[in-house]
Amino acid sequence: MPENNSTVIIKQLPNDEFLPHVVALVEEGHTVTLPLRGRSMRPFLEDGRDKALLAAPTDINVGDAVLAEIQPGHYVLHRIIEIIEKQVTLRGDGNLGNEYCRIEDIRAKAIAFYRKGRTKADSVTGLKWRLYSAIWTRLYPIRRYLLFALYPHFPRRWKMRK
Amino acid sequence: MKQKKGFRLRNICGEHVIVAEGIENIDFSKIISMNESSAYLWEKVEGRDFEAEDLCKLLLAEYEVDELTALIDAKAVIKQWTEAGIIE
Repeated sequence: MPENNSTVIIKQLPNDEFLPHVVALVEEGHTVTLPLRGRSMRPFLEDGRDKALLAAPTDINVGDAVLAEIQPGHYVLHRIIEIIEKQVTLRGDGNLGNEYCRIEDIRAKAIAFYRKGRTKADSVTGLKWRLYSAIWTRLYPIRRYLLFALYPHFPRRWKMRK
Repeated sequence: MKQKKGFRLRNICGEHVIVAEGIENIDFSKIISMNESSAYLWEKVEGRDFEAEDLCKLLLAEYEVDELTALIDAKAVIKQWTEAGIIE
């Protein structure tokens, strides 16, 4: 029977089932606002806090954050760090390792991000994203230490022993 | 009452979700999802005028409820749809 549906319910849907629908909507010509999960695009994008505005993947370039199907049913929203011929190398801003896919595996392109609950989006053509991108990607050689400084975590075995 | 143009019901991962075809951006951080009976009613009244009494009849045809309960539910559904801005 009908229930009160005026309440806000946060639902987490399985990525491998949900994201194909997102991709289908993008292919139909919509843009899609997608709440983000995961920590792989730290420090700019935070798990459960921020949203990406996705559009059709036209004009793909190094530096773009894209939704890619790196294996059948396995999607990531990561930054392109290299394109050679049709081979794309991706790396999450908060990651140290790379992923690889073909250019046709790129399903959508992030054109803006809604951060920290704001209603105004930070466009990827805006100064903030471009400046952040330029600095953060250049700091890759010391990313391991930056991430540790920003998000300190210690292996359990190092923690104080009683 | 009538459905506003372009609000199509889709099934996404078992959720009945209303996706506005006309609008450019689909925001998955705030989306209208319907339960089973709302979705059933939505599909039945597609493209035609309806009142609470019509929904009530549809509920009676599909579910084992008494007429009074069905009418109360039908009115509640219309109120919710109006609040959600998907009917006019």
